[in-house]
Amino acid sequence: MSWLSRAAARLVPAERRDWAEAVWAEADQVPAGLARLAWRAGGVRLMAREAMLARRATRTLVFAAAAAWVAGTAWPGSAGNPATALSRLDVVTMLPVLAGLPLLARWLVGPAAPGPLARVLRAGAYVAVLVLIVARASVDQVADNPAAVPHLNPDASVPALDGMIYAWLAQSVFLLIVAVYVAAILVLTARRPRVAPATLAVGTGAGLVLGAVMYAVAPLGLTSYATTPWLSGAALAPVLLLAWVLLFGAPAAAGSVAARCYRGPGDPRQLAKARLRQGGAAGFLATGIGALVVTVLGTGTIALMPRAGWALRWLYPGQHLLAAVTYNRELTASVRAGGYDLILLFFPVIGLLIGLAASTSAGQPGPPPDGDGLPGPESAPDPPDSGQLAA
Amino acid sequence: MGSRTEFSAQTLSVLAALCEQPSQWQHGYALARQTGLKSGTLYPILIRLADRGLVEACWQDEPAPGRPRRHLYRLTAAGLASATGALAAVAQPAVAQPAGRPGARLRGGRGVAAPVVP
Repeated sequence: MSWLSRAAARLVPAERRDWAEAVWAEADQVPAGLARLAWRAGGVRLMAREAMLARRATRTLVFAAAAAWVAGTAWPGSAGNPATALSRLDVVTMLPVLAGLPLLARWLVGPAAPGPLARVLRAGAYVAVLVLIVARASVDQVADNPAAVPHLNPDASVPALDGMIYAWLAQSVFLLIVAVYVAAILVLTARRPRVAPATLAVGTGAGLVLGAVMYAVAPLGLTSYATTPWLSGAALAPVLLLAWVLLFGAPAAAGSVAARCYRGPGDPRQLAKARLRQGGAAGFLATGIGALVVTVLGTGTIALMPRAGWALRWLYPGQHLLAAVTYNRELTASVRAGGYDLILLFFPVIGLLIGLAASTSAGQPGPPPDGDGLPGPESAPDPPDSGQLAA
Repeated sequence: MGSRTEFSAQTLSVLAALCEQPSQWQHGYALARQTGLKSGTLYPILIRLADRGLVEACWQDEPAPGRPRRHLYRLTAAGLASATGALAAVAQPAVAQPAGRPGARLRGGRGVAAPVVP
């Protein structure tokens, strides 16, 4: 067996390696020529299938471990704190939803699109959502703590019933938004919607930039003014302006670039529709990922405040905060964290609309390019066996 | 185990080939020739059967000079019983069905043409 086949067999899990080597060894018995080539091609197919199955099993195990961590971290809490029940609602609803959505997406829109970016995006979305559930549980424990009510509102003593109803409603909306985010990313990175790799790349890049800038402006929750402790006065204004520009400019640029880069079907009407789809997807990704990044980073930062001394030193370098001041800042930031829900809700809508509008600026489709430009993905059929073994 | 729908037509053809000389070790290429299956179809079937304990596999002790060792396969006792039952179940309705449609009730597109049940 050649070094190449040995190297390829390493991709297969150890318990299956014998089989991969068996196909290769047997190839020497097959008459030389096309028959042997076909035999070896079958071996490559076998190795690819086994490697893929191993990846699927690994993904399942990793998700199960992550889900167990989320459940173990978000579940505990004081029985007297209404946030405990809300966090448990998050765990009970979101983990099954996260486990089931990929199966539903695979059934409805096919498996993940070829290429690493689609898988990275999916994995990133799952990591973000799992971290968000844990961070949110921690933040809610502080914000909804009955002992904190007098600090927030000296006239109140315990949370009123209508306040509780509002909290449950808000939590339900939050869960719905997060589920829609995951579903949208699963769909956009699936094979059947035919979102081009270039579209995914442009939208994701723009989203990461938007998210980073938004985090610089609002790392401690969202209010009508910037919550950044790092920037003030003259230093704040340009970053704030940049955030506003990016909110509208990032999806516009991403939508326009994605539409222009797309080289699809020759029929002008079909191409126009396909470009609209690419523009909308890129715009949605730009603001959606931006919203997810700022929400996860911001909520995570606020969650770390009461736990990690380094987080406070990082947020307020050179300041020696009194315990009461620290608590007050933690509490205020925890309450403001709810503002991120607005970002999660509205940013993707803004991005989708701007992306669709920007894609029309790609202009009427011209003659086919001379080989330059990024090609759109071909509408490859789903594998008939979807990785199932034949027996 | 042993129900008619348990195995695909392709799997049944592999079982039929292994049943012809159940005590003999057979290699992949011979099975491929007997069944007409390509390597990319045959080996996943063998893997699945081995996972279920119906087929055992081993490496050849003494390879031919200048040749790599070959991987060999044969039915286990459980595999033989299961294969015999499954092939018999397929053979019976094939008699009752119209001619030219052997194995039409099997899953998969390829029928098993009159498998020999030892």
